[in-house]
Amino acid sequence: MTCLLEARGLTRRFGGVVALDNLDLAVVPNEIMGLIGPNGSGKTTFFNVVTGIYGAHGGSVTFDGADITRASSRAVYHAGVSRTFQRSRLSLPLSIFDNIMIGNHKRLNQGLWFNLVRRGEFEREFEDNYAAARTLIEVFEPRLAERMFEPVAGLPMIDRRRIEICRALISQPKLLLLDEPSAGMTHDETKELMDDILQVRELNRSLTIVIVEHEMGLIERITDRCVVLNFGRKIAEGPYRQVAVDRQVQEAYLGVE
Amino acid sequence: MDVGLLTQYVMNGLMLGMMYTLVAVGFTLFFGVLDIIKFSHGDVLTVGAFTALATYIGLRSVGISSTPLLLLAMLVVAILAMAALGMLIARYLVMPLRSAPPLNTLLITLMLGTVLREMVRLFYPQGANPKPFPALLPTGSINLGQFNLRLDNVIMLAAGVTIIIGLRLLLDRTKLGLAIRAVAQDEETARTMGINFTAIVLITFAIGSALAAVAGVMNGLYYNEINFGMGLLLGVIGFSAAIIGGLGSIYGAILGGFLFAALQTIGAVALPFASAYKDVFAFTVVIALMAWRPTGLIQEKISERV
Amino acid sequence: MSEVRQKPRAPLLPGVVALALSTVYLIALLAVEKQPLVIGLLALAVVAVLAAHYMDWLNPVARSFAEREGTLSVYAILAACVVAAFFHDNHFVLLLFVTVLLYTVATLGLNIEFGYAGVLNFAGASFFGIGAYTSAVLNTYTAVPHLLVLLIGGMLAALIGSLLLLPVLRTRGHYAALVTIAFALLLKTFLEVNDVLGGPQGMQVKGMSILGWSFNDNFEVGKIEMSFYLNYFVVSMLLLCGTFVLVRRLERSWIGLNLDAVRLDETAASCFGLDIARWKITAFVLGNFVIGVAGALFGMVGGFVAPNNYTFADSLIMVSILLLGGIGNPWGLVVATFIVVVLPEKLQTIQEYRFLLYALIVIMVLLFRPEGLLPRPVRRYFPGWRA
Repeated sequence: MTCLLEARGLTRRFGGVVALDNLDLAVVPNEIMGLIGPNGSGKTTFFNVVTGIYGAHGGSVTFDGADITRASSRAVYHAGVSRTFQRSRLSLPLSIFDNIMIGNHKRLNQGLWFNLVRRGEFEREFEDNYAAARTLIEVFEPRLAERMFEPVAGLPMIDRRRIEICRALISQPKLLLLDEPSAGMTHDETKELMDDILQVRELNRSLTIVIVEHEMGLIERITDRCVVLNFGRKIAEGPYRQVAVDRQVQEAYLGVE
Repeated sequence: MDVGLLTQYVMNGLMLGMMYTLVAVGFTLFFGVLDIIKFSHGDVLTVGAFTALATYIGLRSVGISSTPLLLLAMLVVAILAMAALGMLIARYLVMPLRSAPPLNTLLITLMLGTVLREMVRLFYPQGANPKPFPALLPTGSINLGQFNLRLDNVIMLAAGVTIIIGLRLLLDRTKLGLAIRAVAQDEETARTMGINFTAIVLITFAIGSALAAVAGVMNGLYYNEINFGMGLLLGVIGFSAAIIGGLGSIYGAILGGFLFAALQTIGAVALPFASAYKDVFAFTVVIALMAWRPTGLIQEKISERV
Repeated sequence: MSEVRQKPRAPLLPGVVALALSTVYLIALLAVEKQPLVIGLLALAVVAVLAAHYMDWLNPVARSFAEREGTLSVYAILAACVVAAFFHDNHFVLLLFVTVLLYTVATLGLNIEFGYAGVLNFAGASFFGIGAYTSAVLNTYTAVPHLLVLLIGGMLAALIGSLLLLPVLRTRGHYAALVTIAFALLLKTFLEVNDVLGGPQGMQVKGMSILGWSFNDNFEVGKIEMSFYLNYFVVSMLLLCGTFVLVRRLERSWIGLNLDAVRLDETAASCFGLDIARWKITAFVLGNFVIGVAGALFGMVGGFVAPNNYTFADSLIMVSILLLGGIGNPWGLVVATFIVVVLPEKLQTIQEYRFLLYALIVIMVLLFRPEGLLPRPVRRYFPGWRA
């Protein structure tokens, strides 16, 4: 079975710390994969290396058949990978619509002439994309759809997470990387959020999702299978229930007796 | 060229390097501790020099003429005054803006620099004109065969080296130095270890500003003249020196300071027709270095977490 | 579907009233000479604005401008013409007015770099000066048509700006700050030591003439004598209107969005495909082009150029205008430019202190109201558009 995303022997150091240690990891198309592990095990670093924020010190990453090991963040996005961030990185002074549109970069006409002179055509593109953004955010929270031109700054955390996910989804990526989407939210809010994501998945069966999480209930509910990291290496792999009772995984989280 | 001329250039370069280093160290300390660029640093140097001059004039007018005493008094007053000024700046302008984007701190210190500069120009008697600075160091020279070493230059260089070594010892061997380095590394952890963050910031600013005062007095002694705009270019040079050395690293500041001076000296030798061009030459090389190694020759501290 | 655009809801009246009052006030302020009268007028303005703030009259005005901007802009142009007509034979006032207009254009250019893209440029006045010197040199030594000279001035400023920015594109903000400050300081020295460019005394600039119509001659309409500065007023207004439209459309487009994204969070922006370097350079080239054109025109208006008019301190004044007016808000910029340029001219006592004064004001603004006088509102791609 061909993988959508594959890391082989991926290594990344920060000074003396080895964040990713010869990591082998494969993501299968159309699956929802959980990436779990104790704090500092390299989960976010893995995302950062895949999306080109950090370079790799060894090994390779392949996406959809192409080598993206040395690709810039821009190139990775254009290849079809989208992500959210651990500490929600929205542009707070900008409106909901603006924030979502940032994620839509590859589908918007960026030409100077088009934007400055051909205002009629620009207006049409604007209206089309407004409709698309509205439709998307309505899946998550219809009330936000009425407030598309309000600044994000005043909104509660759960709404910001929703907007961040919309920003990642608007460009219809092939792979979505979610980095601790439930951080800062209550149990109920998390459940709502995951229902929304599953709903989006229903609408778009070809979307592949990798989700980093600490909330195990969420992982158990949502994911098809999990990969467990510890000290930058993969220590277990399989469906959640299988992984949860794995000796090594338990030791990694709880320590050895 | 003859050895005498060569030594001239070398000594000149060393003196400049020393002064730039003192300024650059200030920039690096401020960035290290608070992740901010304090653009008013050069103008603090100017105020320090003028404070020293005012002290001199004041003491002379009451009849004190002992040179060592005058020099000592000027240094002490300038250092204490600038340390106090540095702390006030930190307390009332920089720290309140910690939650704002870093651009705001940069802007506010830039504006503050203008305020300091203009206050000297407008309110110091005839501040717009260059003022003569007294020559208070021994004027003799050491004869070493083919060339002369000016005694005052040697003294200043020695003083500068002592200060830098002293600073290094302070940072490496004392509890205060440890606290400063801890705060520079990781503010939150330092706080949880019981370090009084505000106090450390204020002290660091005091130290940096005191260094500026010394550099200002040195500048006056070297050129025998000071003017209200002297801090501007020195500040820019000090800042670039700190950057190419690597912001946050003392050794980087030293390296950058002397590197810039060396570039200026090479520029002056290679382009004797207009001395103004030596600065253009030096800055062009520096900008090229920045493009090549944006984080400095010695690694700048990374302060962003993704 | 264009039927989506409904009738705008905010009334026109508050904006018109505000414009009319401001026009009358401006005429009074410009006409008055005696210092006590000037101070009185200024006090009146402060009181009036504070009163309007407490009576909550400022919000309707803001909404009016936000949603009926097109119409109000036309009225603003008319208002400017009224002011110019009122002072039709007053050289001094017209020169001041034209200076304000051109400074506004330059600051709008700086706004594109600084306010939108977040690229720090502390050499705004230097690029303005490059434009002015272009006029001086081309008008003196060549026969290049003057409108083309304006364009060349803009392009030269854009080119030099790019050369300056390219090395530090991929670095953090303070590098651009450093590079532009160094440039500002060194350019002044360069101009002073170069006798070809007139040295410290500067150069004369031949006045503008288009198709034989010399701009530096007074003319008559019927029996009424008109100051030659009216010629420059017309060109400056055209330039300002063009720049305003450019800046507005830029902000209200995907490009404006990209610039904001680059300014607010580079890392996230590149994760969504933005080419950070491309957008920074675009902003810088556009901004500097505008500054250069304004400078070239200014050189011709003033009649001479000298290094002392385009110093680092002057660049800081431009930055002060940006911060005071409200970064990113063109209307705020217009108001702030008027305040910053006109005040020292009318209140002669503060002329000498203006650098100090404005630096202090900016410090206050940064500490207590960082958004400036007129904070930048959320982006509305088409004012009055309703979903």
